Amino acid sequence: MTRSITDAAIRLSPIAIVLGIWQLTASLHWVDTAFLPAPAAVGRALGQLLSGNEIRDNLLVTLFRALAGLALATVSGVWFGIGMARSWVFNAIVSPLVGATYSLPKTAIVPLLILWFGIGSTMGIIAVYLTCLLPIIVQTYHGVRATPAVLVWSAQSMGAEERKILWQILLPHALPDIFTGLRVALGFSFVVAISAEMIASTKGIGRLIFMYGESGSYDFMFAAVASVVIAAFFADRALLALSTRSLRWHESHAGANPGVAA
Amino acid sequence: MISKISVRGVSKSYNSNAGEVLALQGTDLEIRQGEFVSLVGPSGCGKSTLLYIVGGFLAANGVVQIDGKTIIGPGVDRGIVFQEYALFPWLTVRRNILYGPRVRNLPPQQCDEVADRLIDVIGLRNFEHRYPRELSGGMKQRVAIARMLAGDPAILLLDEPFGALDALTREAMQDELLRIWLEMRKTVLMVTHDVNEAVYLSNRICVMSARPGRIVKEFTVNLDRTRTREAIVLSDEYNRVRNQVWLSVRQQASTVAAAG
Repeated sequence: MTRSITDAAIRLSPIAIVLGIWQLTASLHWVDTAFLPAPAAVGRALGQLLSGNEIRDNLLVTLFRALAGLALATVSGVWFGIGMARSWVFNAIVSPLVGATYSLPKTAIVPLLILWFGIGSTMGIIAVYLTCLLPIIVQTYHGVRATPAVLVWSAQSMGAEERKILWQILLPHALPDIFTGLRVALGFSFVVAISAEMIASTKGIGRLIFMYGESGSYDFMFAAVASVVIAAFFADRALLALSTRSLRWHESHAGANPGVAA
Repeated sequence: MISKISVRGVSKSYNSNAGEVLALQGTDLEIRQGEFVSLVGPSGCGKSTLLYIVGGFLAANGVVQIDGKTIIGPGVDRGIVFQEYALFPWLTVRRNILYGPRVRNLPPQQCDEVADRLIDVIGLRNFEHRYPRELSGGMKQRVAIARMLAGDPAILLLDEPFGALDALTREAMQDELLRIWLEMRKTVLMVTHDVNEAVYLSNRICVMSARPGRIVKEFTVNLDRTRTREAIVLSDEYNRVRNQVWLSVRQQASTVAAAG
């Protein structure tokens, strides 16, 4: 019990230190509070915003865009990854595209997407989708390719045919890698959803941040940013919890449950 | 009489960085129903390759027949155990054993009966809900054997099954395998680099040449397997065959050294 309290204190201390220094710079007027509002002011603004619907409604729009794009990217990314790992023809067709677009900052194509899809949620979801697709394809491909032949052979010798090999052997084997890709993609999904909203949107937390920034309401702008940070943090924790639950069997969990020596 | 396993004129080559490598050349092998045959030979002689070809995992030139029918791929008539266990790490001990029966859609009650019986045979009742990573090497190999037996295959293919185990565990596992074989009278083809193990377990030992591998010498082992390990290992017949096989493997290995 005391251990977990100490643990939590250690984990929270850097946040507390940053907030403390931030408050200090504001209180001692090291910087103009018009440009860097004090945490207390941001807190007040956040409280004010949260009592209204503005943050909630815009955050829900952004979350919807980020998570819808991520979900679509996961389903099709896993499918692409498996296809590439299983068929060299498919791989030969798709891998140059993946290689060419892997390092492209996807926000660069947002203006194009606006041209084609307008400035609504469709554009945001597509931008997120395209960004999240690549890490998931790459990780799935890697996980499937790395499946030891002896696992597939074992399953075949017990009567598993192609479809069951895919669902019961290749996918479970790739799962730890898929989760790695998902975690990277989750981070991207927030970045791109918000960036797209900043470039052009009528709704969303990105637009809200941009709007407050334009009008010089920096305490409100910081409050909006804080709300995104908190939402992203909980989304990441939720994914981590899901991954921990799904991968109890994996070697990476060996520390949590001491193995048996005999 | 038709052989249980018939290998005729089997050759296998594969591509490596150094070009095409001939792993097997003109290999012949006939195994009768209920026989326990071991393949021994210098490392890299293609003994595992031959086992995988019989398993249907690798394609090759030549003819491989089971009960007179040419094989076209892996089948449930041939169970396999690998040196590295090859358990499904995401399934518990029980679910690993249940994999075959479930894949073949056996009724749930029958699946459970098979699993319960085999878990008792391998003595892992207290570990049935553990994942493979929580088991020792010996336990994993017992699970791999139970998983193979769950499908009740007529032929057991064993690829250096006890190679990764410590000496004591290996002997215990050999005795367990011997007991299972005496009881079920399956046809067994085992790859091993351990001459003692081959003599202790097999009816017949085939020595393979260095690459390209083929069977160059066969030894018949006449031992009463119902006797104790001590009685078998200390018998004149055991030591006579062991020495012959050992010398023969050494000769093959020295041709590799001379050529290399």
